[in-house]
This record gives sequence, structure tokens and C-alpha cells, in this order.
Amino acid sequence: MAKSYPEVPFAAIVPCPTVENDKMVTGNWRSLRPVVDMETCTFCKTCWLLCPDASVVSDDEAEEISFNLKYCKGCGICSSVCPVDAIRRVPELDFTD
Amino acid sequence: MTTKKRSTGLTAVCDAWQLVDIDVTASYPIRPYTAVMAEVAKRIANGQMKCEMVYAEGEHGQFSIAHGASMAGARATTGSSGVGLTYAAELYSPIAGGRCPIQVLVGDRTLDPPGDFGSEHTDCLTMRDNGWIFGWAQDAQEALDNSLMCFRIGEDPDIMLPQIVAMDGYFVTHITQDYEVPDQDLVDRFLPPFKPKFRLDVNNPVIMGPQITPEMGPPLEWDRNVVMQRAKGKIVEVTEEFGRLFGRHYAPFVEEYMTEGAEMVFLLQGAHAVTCKSAVKYLREAGYPVGMLRLRWVRPFPEEALQAIAAKFKVIGVIDTGTSYGAAGGGGVLLVETRASISETPDKPIVQGFTSGLGGEVITHDEFFRMAEMMRKTLEAGQLVQSSTWVNFNDYV
Repeated sequence: MAKSYPEVPFAAIVPCPTVENDKMVTGNWRSLRPVVDMETCTFCKTCWLLCPDASVVSDDEAEEISFNLKYCKGCGICSSVCPVDAIRRVPELDFTD
Repeated sequence: MTTKKRSTGLTAVCDAWQLVDIDVTASYPIRPYTAVMAEVAKRIANGQMKCEMVYAEGEHGQFSIAHGASMAGARATTGSSGVGLTYAAELYSPIAGGRCPIQVLVGDRTLDPPGDFGSEHTDCLTMRDNGWIFGWAQDAQEALDNSLMCFRIGEDPDIMLPQIVAMDGYFVTHITQDYEVPDQDLVDRFLPPFKPKFRLDVNNPVIMGPQITPEMGPPLEWDRNVVMQRAKGKIVEVTEEFGRLFGRHYAPFVEEYMTEGAEMVFLLQGAHAVTCKSAVKYLREAGYPVGMLRLRWVRPFPEEALQAIAAKFKVIGVIDTGTSYGAAGGGGVLLVETRASISETPDKPIVQGFTSGLGGEVITHDEFFRMAEMMRKTLEAGQLVQSSTWVNFNDYV
């Protein structure tokens, strides 16, 4: 019995996702996880602006940032651009989740 | 009104690009391609052409710009020669797989080393397996006509594949020839405006070339394979329509010259066919039962067309103006593909290979005569005397 393949879109062109693509979770590549210290953070949002994978989540009401770990690949750009050194990079093995 | 013109193959393709009103062209100088970019620039400056001409930082950039322009909905072109074509290597598969029907003009050129700018077909044959439609023009007129046909075939909604309009560097790109520039109204009737299936549009955003899961790969490649096979039917249809409209009738795949009663035939592509025809005339007078087959397309490779006529001949001498070092049979790409095409054909002829015209050398009458004599020896022996002969190096006559 021949294997049946999924229907694919013409030239793999797909509408831009407006929600997360659950079929392509890429955060599992990460070896260092960003951790923000909200005591030090000034909510300047430089990290939010420069994250290449839109994985910095900004809560404008609470004036807090967090990270979408499903897609954050741990590149560390957020940490290196932070003007007040509020973001540390912690080895994934230090976490239980 | 059809205009008679005397100019080069590159100018002829520029005439085609002007007639089809290209939107974007990306340029980077390399001989012999350079002349077309100079010609386009001149015509933009003169107000004859309206298109965006983007100067790239190299051939990889050129192909990327044309790729992006096509995704944005533009009729886009670029071109190159020799090592320029190989420098752009990364882009061939994404452009074809993204089904962007850009057109690339190739004035072919020997790959380095050494820095030889003479014609050789190795440059774009090296890039043959990515899903581009391409073949060689034998003169300026055919270069112009192939450009028009390629736009029509490649932009067809059932096809949507990029094309290479290839021609021999110098022999076609730079030698002044007589050709006809067709009437604008006819071209407009022949080629409708480019309608991409998808385009980059901020109001309807799409992702082109997204990350996919492994199981999406095979069906996408199957699609590209199917459409490449389908292109053969489209080539027949468009070549016929082109003949009806413009009055120049090309064989869809294989041009036959003096094959009536021929027991042996040369098989080649590109500008050397012009010399070959002249040589065949002399050879016929001298009693050699020889004719010529000229391939108009190398992708898709016209295997059915060859199968249909192969049994008429006893010996086919494939002339490769390019190299494929270490290939089966010791010749070039055309020898391998010709043998593969007719391998299961009943009463198939003996197929022998010749490598000639490398480095931009002319294949002379004398060399065609010697190849004919070697084919005659094969005919007499009823079997291969030598699988592949590099003319002037290991000739056996």
C-alpha cells in the first residue's frame, strides 16, 4: 500500500499565520533560556523590538516583558541589547520544565 | 509592422524584453552577457524601455533580485555567463520550486580555469536539474523568438516555471546578424500580461518558501516533476501558435536537416548547427549518408521526440560542446541523455559521442568531415568503435 501524502499548497505558499503554528514548534533548539529580572527592567522594550523571532512578549498594561519559550531559540540578542543588563541566559538543564 | 534589423543575439533578446515590457531586470557585468545590460540601460535612458534596472553586487544578488521581483508580481529577467551562472547556484532551486517564472538570458561561456570567455555549454548545463525550462538558440532570430516563447510557456498558469534563453557566447551573442523584430500588436496577442498566482501584498500577506515538515517535501517535488513533464505539451502548443502568428515555424523539439535517407546523423544544439548544416551539404555531395538533428530544448529533454525518429538512423553522433567529467560514456551531458532516451527503443541506432567546440573554438568543416568519417567507420563495423571521441585528441581516423 503506497503511503499517502498530505495535500500541499502551490509552491508551499501559505497565508501568513495570524496565530502560532503548532506544527512547527522551534523553541526546542534552545540551550540557553532568557530570564528577565523585572526589578531591573525599565520596560524600554529594546529586546521586544530586536527579537528576530518575535518571541519577546510585552504586556503593556502591566509593563512587563516575558518570553514565548515555544519559539524562543535562545540566541541571546535580547540579553546583549538590554541597556540595564536585566536579562540573564540560563542553561536549559537548570530548569525542570 | 515587422522591422528588419541587423544586430547581435543579445540585442535581439533585448528587443524581445522591450516588446514584452519587462518590469524589472537585475544586472551584473560578465562577458558576454554584459552587452545586454548595456543595451537595456541605453534603452531606459532613451525612453524606449520602462523598467526597473537593479544593479546587483554579484550574480547571487542578481538572481535574488529577480526572484523577489517575481514574487512581488513583476515580469522579471536577469542574465549571466560562465562562472556568473555558477555563483548564483543557490537560487536555481528556490526560484523553480517557488514557481517564479523569471527569464534568464545566458550568453554561455567556458567555466574557469582559465579565464576563457569563449562559448561552451557547460555553464548552464551544470545547473540543469532544478526545474528550469531551457534550450539553445542557433542565431539571433531564434534567440528573440525563444525569449518570447519562453515567457509564454513559463508564465502559463499550468506551468509557472523559470526559463533560460541560452545562446553560444560570441557566435550568437556578439556576431552581427539579420533578424526580424515582430510587430508589437502580434506580441501583445501572443503573450498576455503576467498574472502571478500569488504575490507579495501587504493586504493579503502570504509566506513564500516557509519551513515545512518533511512529509510536505516529497509532494512538492512531485508537483515540480509533473509540471516539468507537462511543459513538453505546452512547448508543442506554443511553438505551433508562434508559427501561425509570426510565420516562423520551429520544430518543437528536434530540428531535422537532410535526414531523408540519412543512415547517420549528427546531434547537437546551438550555433554550431549552422556550420554543421553547411558541412552536411558537402558530405552528402561526397556520398556520406549523413544528416543533422538539432535539439531546441535540453530541459525538458525531448526523449519522446528522439524515440519517435531514432529508428530511422543507424548511427547517431552526439556532439557535446561542454564537459561532464567522469560521466558515463566519457562524453558530455547530451551523450548521456541521448543514450538514456533511446535505451529501450527497438531497432535503436548506435550512439557515439564527440566532444568539440570547447573553449569557444569553432567546430570547423574539417572537424565535421572527420566526425562523419568516424561515424562511417561505426556504420561499417555495425558497433561502437569508440564510445566517445574528443575531436583532435583521440580521433580514430
